[in-house]
Amino acid sequence: MLEKTGIATVEQIESVTPSAERRGKGAIAVCECFQNIPCNPCYTSCKFNAMKPLIDINDRPEVNPDKCTGCGICISNCPGLAIFVIDETYSETEALVKLPYEFLPLPEDGTFVTGTDRAGKAVCRAKVVKVLNTPAQDKTPVVWLAVPKELSMTVRCFKIDDIYSDNTYLCRCEEVTLGEIRELIRKGYTSVDEIKRISRAGMGPCQGKTCRQLIMNEISKMTGEKIQDMPVSTFRPPVKPIKLGMLAQSEDNDDE
Amino acid sequence: MIKTDVAVIGGGPAGMCAAIEAANAGAKVIVFERNLSLGGQLVKQTHMFFGSQKQYASKRGFDISKILRDQISQNKNITVMTNATVIGMYEDGVLTIEHDNKYKKVLPRATVVATGASEKFLPFNNNDLPGIYGAGAVQTLMNVYGVKPGDQVVMVGAGNIGLIVSYQLMQAGVKVNAVIDAAPRIGGYLVHASKIRRMGVPILTSTTVKTAHGTECVEGVTLVKLDENWKEIPDSEFYLPCDNLCIAVGLSPLTELMWQIGIEMAYVPQLGGYVPKSNKNMQTSRPEVFVAGDASGVEEASSAMVEGRIAGLNAAKFLGFKTTDTDSKLADYFEQADSLRSGPVGEKIRAGLKLAELD
Repeated sequence: MLEKTGIATVEQIESVTPSAERRGKGAIAVCECFQNIPCNPCYTSCKFNAMKPLIDINDRPEVNPDKCTGCGICISNCPGLAIFVIDETYSETEALVKLPYEFLPLPEDGTFVTGTDRAGKAVCRAKVVKVLNTPAQDKTPVVWLAVPKELSMTVRCFKIDDIYSDNTYLCRCEEVTLGEIRELIRKGYTSVDEIKRISRAGMGPCQGKTCRQLIMNEISKMTGEKIQDMPVSTFRPPVKPIKLGMLAQSEDNDDE
Repeated sequence: MIKTDVAVIGGGPAGMCAAIEAANAGAKVIVFERNLSLGGQLVKQTHMFFGSQKQYASKRGFDISKILRDQISQNKNITVMTNATVIGMYEDGVLTIEHDNKYKKVLPRATVVATGASEKFLPFNNNDLPGIYGAGAVQTLMNVYGVKPGDQVVMVGAGNIGLIVSYQLMQAGVKVNAVIDAAPRIGGYLVHASKIRRMGVPILTSTTVKTAHGTECVEGVTLVKLDENWKEIPDSEFYLPCDNLCIAVGLSPLTELMWQIGIEMAYVPQLGGYVPKSNKNMQTSRPEVFVAGDASGVEEASSAMVEGRIAGLNAAKFLGFKTTDTDSKLADYFEQADSLRSGPVGEKIRAGLKLAELD
């Protein structure tokens, strides 16, 4: 419940969701303002008269779907940062979500971030299409995210640490990140064994069971080499870490 | 003895607006500000204001402060004394001040008290540990002095200050582990709550502080859930780490000066505690003393500015400075004040103001 958690309910969101027909026609503003507070910049900033006139300053905003062009001027003007623009005509499979974002660093155009919902939960990978940060936004930049179309009314924020980002661990045992592996591949280490020897990826308790395939995928992605054509790493016993003491006390020790 | 038509005590949003209006009406005004520059709490408000264009909606507090400061510096009728704290108010209308470490006396013909408010505090175990701050202090450290006040915060209070300061802490790169509030519902604007919730910060209502932990400074806090009667639920304690415990449980009007000269007061919890009784014109039981802003009852800064304008115009009018548009301006300001308070979130304020009405 919004008053207890800060998260709008499904019913509240439904009440401000534009019709499927309107969504199919292009960009439109969505005002997630569910409380009667004395505030009217959404109405006064709209150049298309697409906001219902706020006769009483405490009225809640209402978007006229026929007049709204989805221009997004209202996004940076809303003191509550409660207005978003969605555009489900962006591509076959993706929608654009334009949202206010007042944090540094700003994401860069063309990079990927993790799209999050109204509770801050990761819901998808999202591409940063554009970051608007001109004097017109007056320090409330607007970020355009391309998200899976069905999430146009779900993604409302993002985390710059992409779930697939350079900070992600490929080798959890030895804590080697995707970024480090990518750096090595760029330097010319293009087999699993080379990467293992220089980074220790695959030398931990799981002995490469987790990361071997992931590293091969990454090499393939960056070099274009097919996985079946790559040298396979050398497999030697033991397949799991064991104590030296156990070897020393072996009953089958031929050297004795 | 310094003499002037109108003395304005406090150079925040209410005081600055009062000075501008009184001076525009023709009165000589001195603004006494205890800090080194004007602006009051506006200078640390990095968020956009609500309201309408007339109260600078969509502009950020510090930008509003600049607009008002420019108007004041261009106004020949206004003298600003900074580093000047009014320390006493006397029956004969004399104000005593500490100005640049000197003790001085001022005799104004009318006074606008715009002293603002101070932060309320909470009693709980170990509440004297370093790292436990008022949210306003944290906001000053961050936004005025550029000091990061900690690495991870637990915010106590989900009113507008708690929510806004939490958001600004995140902007400064500080992790906010939770915002808690003893009340069953979020007290601040829900859009502010949603703004921090979608950044992943939990907002825990019906939750209060039991004990702070730490040796040299605060290291964590034990919280406890409350039932619908605000009673602790047994075995519902839980622990959150933090090196900064931020208290945002409301403000109390700063009214000492008005007590000193026997102005009629009323205890109005809806307005933050004791407030001076005043009429529509912001005039107190001492006809030459006007009040504006949080000192007359804690509200938003947009209302403080409108109240300042009403008080300033009326202080000038009281002294005989009246222009052709005084009445039309006043009518406009009354309408602005009414509209800011007209909705459901203004209900508490409206009820409070009724109790503080001067007969």
